[in-house]
Amino acid sequence: MSLALWALVGVVVAGMLLRMPIGFSMLMAGVAYLIVKGQDLGLVAEQVSNGLYNSYVLLAVPLFVFAANIMNAGTVSERIFDFCRILVGRMRGGLAQVDILVSVIFSGMSGSAIADAAGPGLVTIKQMLKKPEYSPGFAGAVVVASATLGPIIPPSIPMVIYALVSGASVGALFLGGVVPGVCMTILMMCVVHVIARKRNMPREDPIPLREWPNIVFRGALPLSMPIVLLGGIYSGAFTPTEAAAVAALHALVLAAFVFRALSWRAFGAVVLESTRASAVITIILAGSFVLNYAFTSEGVPQAMAAWVDSLGLSRLQFLFMVNALFLILGCFLDVSVLLLVFVPMLLPAAKLLGVDLVHFGVLVVLNMMIGLIHPPFGMLLFVTKALTGIPIGAMMREGWMFLVMLLLLLVAITVFPDIVLWLPRTMGYGTAAPTG
Amino acid sequence: MRFLKRAADAFGGLIFVCLFCTFLLQIVARFGFNKPLPWTDELAVILYLWAILWAAAIMVPDREHVVFDLVWNSVNSATRRVMRIVGNLMIGGLALWAIPASWDYVHFMRRESSPVLDISFQWIFLPFVLLLIALVVRSAWAIGEAIRGRGLDVQRTLS
Repeated sequence: MSLALWALVGVVVAGMLLRMPIGFSMLMAGVAYLIVKGQDLGLVAEQVSNGLYNSYVLLAVPLFVFAANIMNAGTVSERIFDFCRILVGRMRGGLAQVDILVSVIFSGMSGSAIADAAGPGLVTIKQMLKKPEYSPGFAGAVVVASATLGPIIPPSIPMVIYALVSGASVGALFLGGVVPGVCMTILMMCVVHVIARKRNMPREDPIPLREWPNIVFRGALPLSMPIVLLGGIYSGAFTPTEAAAVAALHALVLAAFVFRALSWRAFGAVVLESTRASAVITIILAGSFVLNYAFTSEGVPQAMAAWVDSLGLSRLQFLFMVNALFLILGCFLDVSVLLLVFVPMLLPAAKLLGVDLVHFGVLVVLNMMIGLIHPPFGMLLFVTKALTGIPIGAMMREGWMFLVMLLLLLVAITVFPDIVLWLPRTMGYGTAAPTG
Repeated sequence: MRFLKRAADAFGGLIFVCLFCTFLLQIVARFGFNKPLPWTDELAVILYLWAILWAAAIMVPDREHVVFDLVWNSVNSATRRVMRIVGNLMIGGLALWAIPASWDYVHFMRRESSPVLDISFQWIFLPFVLLLIALVVRSAWAIGEAIRGRGLDVQRTLS
């Protein structure tokens, strides 16, 4: 490792340990690298400005954030909640089942696990805590586990970012998440069912038939959004970025004119919140442009690929190694850092071993979702604790079955790529050719 | 000061809304009038660059950024003060160091303009220099606050 590379890594690590914003630490690490290297410091400005200027696909991120924030502000969660009560409320542990289904529908709109936990998750936790049969730890565990569906079921912000760094198709990645997402849903509902039977959890009161049409109608309107979104992308009418804008408009029209739940003041707050949230993600991206410039000129990804090659790993062994690496790193690092710094380092090795890029992307995203709920530092645990006050320890004691189930699914997807690739292939996406 | 902050927030929000509207215009022109506009993609990217860098420079408070706070949360307040000062010296110092060369690059780019709208890249890339200046100012301010013992409590991040 050259001295300049040490300076780069040193500033990133020091900035992190000192609790400086990670994105700024990455940017300034690039400056330190260039100083030691004796190169023109203007390269940082060039890398960031040109990098952002050429990242058209990334424009989907602020628009998806915008759409999710509008819906959280506009009572959409409550509407879906009532709708799902009709569908699964009569099962044992009905509220927990409702929560999972609500997450499935909401993740068809938002693409972010945090938005999922903070929006519909909060609604269902409050309902569960009103009933003594649901322990706070169980309520929290269900919400945290089901929030991981957000970025697996399309649309998905992490997958858009992965598409940017890997060059894989956003459409194929979105489709690749569907079957794993459905598997996760079914498995989670089974776990809840087993626990609910054992503890004799209550069913929800039946909803009188005459109220059904009204509830279904109220719930069907927000449900139209994923249809518009995904239909638009797969019919070829919109690019994923345009579809994100259409989704935001759809949410805006519903919230402001149909539900009448969005005032001008609330709209302003949503705009500012979305701008800030997009900036937080994008600054890490800007930092990664600089970092990856340095890594590339030092030949780090090639060295990684050569190292992996020298190990003589099979494709499967490599994928399991990546899983282990991401599960560990996911405990400490943010999703965007993993995607933007570690994934580009691993991509050449993955290509060399003939790993399908769509398969790899879904695998990586699932890994990171497990990292979000994994002790000791899973972000979703902290968000849920901050919003509800449920202790993390209690959530973990109740949530280990979900964690085990997700890990089993991860192994299955690693071993059988067709779980991911079947749907994109059937829909006519030639997934990325596994060549170097 | 508060008025300035609100004005800066409003400016960032306005760029974001313009970005959104640019996309709507693009879609309406293509489907409604069957006349794709050549300049919307370019404008969207330019607005995006401005919105993001402006927001990162001025709108986003430090506590909303993604940080790694395990160390911060497990040490006492005196150590935190040292951490805050050293960290900001490092980030602010490096940002200061990078300003002249970054401005040179951005200024140099005035000879080139965007292909369709013919906007000089000097103006498109300018917010990166603003971000560096903001980093220097914010670091200096954070050091001042830390010396006075403010803002050193444990914060949970909610991204």
